[in-house]
Amino acid sequence: MGAHGHPKAIGGALLAPPMKTLLALFGVAAAVIAYRVFAGVGPVSNMSDGFTWGIWEPVNVVVFTGIGAGAYAVGLLCYVLNKGQYHGLVRPAVLVGAISYTLGGSSILVALGRYWNAVLLPWLPFWNLGSALLEVAVCVMTYTAVLWVEVLPAILEAAAQGPSSRWSAVGKRWGARLAVAMPFIIALAVLLPTMHQSSLGGLMLIAGPKIHPLWHTALLPTLFLVSCLSMGFGAVVVLVNLLRLSWNAKADQKLFVELSRVNAALLLFYVVLRVGDVALHGKLRFLGANFPTFLFLVELALFVVPAILFLSPKVQANRGRLFGAALLSLAAGAVYRVDTYMTMYRPAGWTDGVANPAGWDYWPSLGELAVTVGMASVGVAVFILVSRLFPVVVVQDARTHSNLGGAVKSAASR
Amino acid sequence: MRFSRRDLLKGAAVAGASTALAGAAEAREPVEPRPDAVGMLFDATRCVGCRACQTACKRANQLPEDRVTPPAGGEYDAPNDLNARTKNVIKAFEGQGGPTYMKQQCMHCVDPSCVSVCMMGALHKEGEGKRDMGGEKKGTGIVIYDKGLCVGCRYCQIGCAFNVPKFEWDAALPLIQKCELCRHRRDEKKGGVRAVANPACAEVCPREAVIYGRREELLAEAKRRVAAEPGRYNPRVFGEKDGGGTQVLYLAPAGVEFKQLGLPQLGDESQAHFSESVSHAPYLHGVTPVALYAAVAFVIRRNKKKEEAAEHGEEGK
Repeated sequence: MGAHGHPKAIGGALLAPPMKTLLALFGVAAAVIAYRVFAGVGPVSNMSDGFTWGIWEPVNVVVFTGIGAGAYAVGLLCYVLNKGQYHGLVRPAVLVGAISYTLGGSSILVALGRYWNAVLLPWLPFWNLGSALLEVAVCVMTYTAVLWVEVLPAILEAAAQGPSSRWSAVGKRWGARLAVAMPFIIALAVLLPTMHQSSLGGLMLIAGPKIHPLWHTALLPTLFLVSCLSMGFGAVVVLVNLLRLSWNAKADQKLFVELSRVNAALLLFYVVLRVGDVALHGKLRFLGANFPTFLFLVELALFVVPAILFLSPKVQANRGRLFGAALLSLAAGAVYRVDTYMTMYRPAGWTDGVANPAGWDYWPSLGELAVTVGMASVGVAVFILVSRLFPVVVVQDARTHSNLGGAVKSAASR
Repeated sequence: MRFSRRDLLKGAAVAGASTALAGAAEAREPVEPRPDAVGMLFDATRCVGCRACQTACKRANQLPEDRVTPPAGGEYDAPNDLNARTKNVIKAFEGQGGPTYMKQQCMHCVDPSCVSVCMMGALHKEGEGKRDMGGEKKGTGIVIYDKGLCVGCRYCQIGCAFNVPKFEWDAALPLIQKCELCRHRRDEKKGGVRAVANPACAEVCPREAVIYGRREELLAEAKRRVAAEPGRYNPRVFGEKDGGGTQVLYLAPAGVEFKQLGLPQLGDESQAHFSESVSHAPYLHGVTPVALYAAVAFVIRRNKKKEEAAEHGEEGK
């Protein structure tokens, strides 16, 4: 890893004011969750038999894990396509991934009515392999564990360099052992998200008539897989830029530009698939002066605009603009996912693109929002905590206070 | 590069254990109605909306009332839809010649979405679940619920095109509620279909608007009625093919579409068949994950070695 610049523990006060705010927000969520345990899901949410998943499933699981897919996206580039210059991005991306997936999993536990039965899920004879949700559940549980194993090298490294000789020995010994096993763990970290991110799209296949025809397609698994990668790349650029602003992390603009070119290709690939599906399956007739068309166009714009921006030299030369474009690519996947799961879902189904009347309406309750916000907050808090204590983030080296290092490396790897 | 083949084999072995399972989940055949499947036939031309079946259902299943208090006092048990306290409901749909009454309960689909999506088979066809809850008979096709394997994820509610499974929103320890065809009222001493189940709604119906029996016979009876009085009926029997077929069948009056009676418009392919076929196709009977894992592990290992060699080379200079 020598030439890539090495991650350092950030250090500093653990309970700074932003941390207190984050923990307070999580406190509110914890209170809502505690109330939910005794009163049931109904009293804290606006969920109903019609809109049975509310925002917890679409946002806390489907969007959070999309953000966490940065670990998958960067892992693919760095390890499978052997672009070593992305090494510095791996640890922050993996930490975000581990946190997002853990939060996705724990949010689901809050949403599950009979959460105590979830302990049976690892029991193989009970598996219904026809269920996309089972595949997601098992895959996500395994992948969360894999992600935390991927975080371990940072912790072992801190132990190895620490003052205690005993911990130092433990860190060195296990760090070396883990390094040998790592390729096999990373391969799992590539396989599992490929499976469950497509299954997240596959989940909605069975909802058939309940999802607007512009969103319901046999391509759902593919579209979810592509959108998780574009979200992941976007998330990494956003993340490292934020780290640069807060902790002077090394943020190699050239690397971001290359990453964003890949992302542009993914975004455009998504658009081709999406538009092609609508055109080839005779769904153009659903386009018109209506809300679904508006949302469809907003989504397409959210995918097309960042792709164009990523390819524009003006944007590539400017940190702020590239950051903005990356945010848009993140929003694109998030909006697509929420629309598929919630906005374009109607319990009584659609007839010719018009929702059939049903006795249900849905808008998230304060309780639901509090849990979603609180979960996101505790995620940020854990990221800050781990980065302060362990070497995760690559900090800008005072001597090479330019992007030269990255430029040389990327030139060398060509 | 000497290690390449061994790496490949190693990778395949590790992945094999975890992904061989996916092999069982390959694309599947369409599900045909089971020969001994039981169900109900509801004839909307006979129902007068007395709701005796609603009351009988609540009593048979020990369900609490849906209390409505009119301004003048007193109380009604007046559910306005299926819900966690109501597994059977009668609704009136206004039409040209007056209202048509419609009965709603679980359709006991031939290839149910709820069964396809249920993670551990809590909702399952009788006798085809992950464990026997006691006395389950295979082949009846009744969709029953095992609360011991339900995590309350509510995916069944997303999947069901008829919006039948209901969740107890206000309970700390909630259940999914839906019609199980009064399987608990079966009488083993009696022969035939009564030994399988005995729906209270069909038992009390004063006009035999809803009858219980073997699906095959009910379908034949429905067709017989349509043939005998073509002027009286919509010629189609809902549930024969709709959504892959259902074990509860419907007859509508002439000139009334099933859609007007609140039934969804479904193709002949079940949603479960569509979803499972699309989802499982890329897995190629479990080969894809194993191959992908092995290939990725091989590439990563090789890349790592290459990089290490390069770094040693740099240090040597």
